Amino acid sequence: MRFLYFDRIIEIESGKRIRAVKTFPLSEAYLKKHFSRAPLIPGSILVEAMSQITGWLVVYTHKCETSCVISLINNLEVPADLRAGATVELHGEIVETDRRWSNCRAWVERDGERIASAERFVFPHFKEKYPEEVANFYRDIGWIEPRWDWETP
Amino acid sequence: MRYLLVDRVTSWESGVSMEGVKNVTMSEDFLEFHFPRFPVMPGSMILEALVQLSGWLEAAGSGCECWFLLERVETIKYYGFALPGDQIELRVEAAGEEEGRSRYKGAATVGGERKVAVDFSGRVVDLKDYEDPEEQAHLFRVLTRDVKLS
Repeated sequence: MRFLYFDRIIEIESGKRIRAVKTFPLSEAYLKKHFSRAPLIPGSILVEAMSQITGWLVVYTHKCETSCVISLINNLEVPADLRAGATVELHGEIVETDRRWSNCRAWVERDGERIASAERFVFPHFKEKYPEEVANFYRDIGWIEPRWDWETP
Repeated sequence: MRYLLVDRVTSWESGVSMEGVKNVTMSEDFLEFHFPRFPVMPGSMILEALVQLSGWLEAAGSGCECWFLLERVETIKYYGFALPGDQIELRVEAAGEEEGRSRYKGAATVGGERKVAVDFSGRVVDLKDYEDPEEQAHLFRVLTRDVKLS
């Protein structure tokens, strides 16, 4: 299993926003036990998806020289009945960022309708020891060619 | 990944609280990407472990007729990491109802040290619509070490 909960990043703007696509095929391993009579996408997977895209936006904004982990999430809503086969669009925005931490929000849309959201993700920053590896990851997994023509916050 | 994030249920009081453990092992699939040079259990998976423990609390109090599905997290705070080799102690407490949702307080510790605190809520559902209740009852006996080979 690859613990990556976006399939493709379709828009990213340093310091501002990210938009990505995620599909939930019936073949996802977790659906076997969630649940055997009703394959439903666990809310925690949507939490992870929103965390991952906002985390990627923070790292991209800081030119891959920063890594980050979540320390706080506030006011998060997820659907209890999202079925396998769904395709969703993941949205993330930076509310505030500086050298030490970032504050982000995120939401999930299906057919243009918001089905999940989180008001606040707080990410403390850490110095990234291998920025070139992270940039390669963006190229290989994220469908993004990193550009670094902006001022780091 | 086998999406069962509670390894053992250690104690419970029907309708009130439940305690259990989740062991983090280096062979967990999610550690390959989380993170390649710093494997730690994802916070979302610790949340899922606490949500599943709430499901077991609902099941234990209803003769395996009910389960719990997450709909809302008011706040989740992460205080530290759970690394491979750690045993995460999980605890959930029922915290009443609000707007038709059952509320829980959850906590995760490692060796008594606080790692996660969360307030969440969701829907209590008929287990039979989601899982075979008899199989779920058997799994609960496995989690509580109430099984024999014969």
